[in-house]
Amino acid sequence: MQRSPSSYPLMWRVMDALEAAFAAIWPKGGGKYTPYLMLTPAIVLVGTLVVGLLYIGDSSLRTLDKSTFQFSEFWTLENYVRAFSEPFIFTVVWRSLMGAVIVTIVTLMLAFPYAYVMVRTPNAFLRKFLLIALFLPFFIGQVVRAYGWLIILGNQGIVNDVLGLVGVEPLRLLFNYPAVLFGLVQYMLPFAVLMLAPALTAIPEEIEAAAGSLGASWVETMTHVVLPMAKPGLIGAGLVVLTLSLTDFAMPAILGGGTQDFIANAIYDQFFRTSDQGFGATLALLLIALGSMLVGVVFAVFGAGTLALDGSQK
Amino acid sequence: MNTHSIPAVSASNVEMQFPGLLAVKDANFELDNGRFLTILGPSGSGKTTLLRMIAGFLKPTRGEIFIKGKEVSAVAPNKRSVGMVFQKLALFPHMTAAQNVAFPLKMRRFDAKKIPARVSEFLNLVRLDGLEDRRMNELSGGQQQRVAIARALVFEPDLLLLDEPLAALDRKLREEMQLEFRRIQKELGVTTINVTHDQREALVVSDQIIVMDHGEIQQDASPTQMYRTPHNPFVANFIGVTNLFVGQLAAVSGEAVDVTIGALTLSGILRSSPETAVLGAQVRCAVRAEQIRISAALDALGELDAAFQGTVKDVIFEGERLLYELSIPELGDDPVRIFHHDQNDFATHDVGETVHIGWMNRDMHIFVAP
Repeated sequence: MQRSPSSYPLMWRVMDALEAAFAAIWPKGGGKYTPYLMLTPAIVLVGTLVVGLLYIGDSSLRTLDKSTFQFSEFWTLENYVRAFSEPFIFTVVWRSLMGAVIVTIVTLMLAFPYAYVMVRTPNAFLRKFLLIALFLPFFIGQVVRAYGWLIILGNQGIVNDVLGLVGVEPLRLLFNYPAVLFGLVQYMLPFAVLMLAPALTAIPEEIEAAAGSLGASWVETMTHVVLPMAKPGLIGAGLVVLTLSLTDFAMPAILGGGTQDFIANAIYDQFFRTSDQGFGATLALLLIALGSMLVGVVFAVFGAGTLALDGSQK
Repeated sequence: MNTHSIPAVSASNVEMQFPGLLAVKDANFELDNGRFLTILGPSGSGKTTLLRMIAGFLKPTRGEIFIKGKEVSAVAPNKRSVGMVFQKLALFPHMTAAQNVAFPLKMRRFDAKKIPARVSEFLNLVRLDGLEDRRMNELSGGQQQRVAIARALVFEPDLLLLDEPLAALDRKLREEMQLEFRRIQKELGVTTINVTHDQREALVVSDQIIVMDHGEIQQDASPTQMYRTPHNPFVANFIGVTNLFVGQLAAVSGEAVDVTIGALTLSGILRSSPETAVLGAQVRCAVRAEQIRISAALDALGELDAAFQGTVKDVIFEGERLLYELSIPELGDDPVRIFHHDQNDFATHDVGETVHIGWMNRDMHIFVAP
């Protein structure tokens, strides 16, 4: 049956026009080079990052002369020696690392039930409510949210006001390690839930029913069936939370009040307070190495295949 | 069979009311130990809902279900002794075949030392020996079916439930698995309830069939009874291909009744209850496509109680048989469908040809319209 082109859906006509335009610019259609052409923007972007990294690598090998405020002419490993010998840096790295691990564990423990209820509830209203509650924080930046916690947890904040009503002396809820971790967990939760939800949706409800009929209690179904099957989602979400927490800047800066610096804060101080670009670059490279090592360890323990990156899994 | 023994499963006045939908209405049935029951019905007939209530995934809104004489409405699925093979099998992809089969034994706290022997015994039963360590994605569709069966049976449940597990298989494999189910069921003597929309499967595997439609049990009978004496036009039409004619009741003498269809008077067997058989009542007359004989010459048909002449409208070749669609104006506007099986006589009738058909009175089932 013949149809006039004007009766085709709008989308088809738009696509046809784009194809015609592309053919006019590139008459042969690019042939086998088209896929590479489409890769170019991404390669340029990543390439720029590599160039920046090379500059940082160069800076990390030059020390700052405190009297002349000039960088050394020759490469030296002095910054690296300093990074590994200064107790303050060790404290900051250890604090960041432990913080990231604790935040990851707590976030996954909170995100899993949230995602599970969101995916499994038969109540459409509850599901929508959970989804909106999840997305709302994304519209509010991290810094604004951190300031929100200042208002809520401050000495004259809402929490201390309520505690005051029942006669409790104002508690110091801010500018300590737990406050930073608390802020980070709250910031990471939506990321973790969003990464877990598709993994849980992929587990058929029938599998849980089957486990029940085979004699598994609810808890046994969770531990023997749902959690192992959700492993790729848990690892993916865990990696995202781990790396984002390890490199976070705003939460330690605002909720830590300068007493709870993470690595990113230390790097910021070197670049913008002491203007020691060389030492800052060294710390930045150490942070990259630390993050890469963590990801490497996760892959080594669980295998890259668990992330469903391995095509043969499908 | 001992009539005093407690049935393996029984349902009394079971009802399932979903918001805005009465999925199962007043279901009553009994199933004896070691028997194979098939619940047969089209999609949306409530057959899966009934099965899920027996499994314990749904709690009936009314009525009681007994397994081995014990009322189970308030018993959770994992506390019932019921093995189930699911529609999509629901095998655990992160476990091997042997781990899948061992799962119910671990969950039901079997003696850990005896588990490996039991697992290999049941993998042997379903002929999967040698594939113990395969993951589910390394097994074929038929092999996955076998793991699912072994997993549902390994803890020796009182009852095996099959929720259309064969629906997704191709025809050849499906027929093979039907016989496999039958073999295993006979070998273990486990009471089984199977749900399907495939009438052929129901006839092949079952000792007892329940036909459901719109949430109601239409008939509960053995396969031969179901086929020979359908209780209503739905059952007659759902099992096999059946021609239905509309007529009026003209005379009743016990089971044998006369009906008028237009200007014709025909005789058949009454399948509705006798008290509904009021003279002049509207009836539906059912004759199966395979019980009508067809020939170019009338005398080649042999002895018949009713004979007609018709014109061939369509011929459909189905391999082992031919399906004719005939126009016979005296019997109404719908084409009359006839299966022709005769392997010795491949003389086919062409479209437009005039042919003779006929059937015996005992093959015409009469149902009084409700």
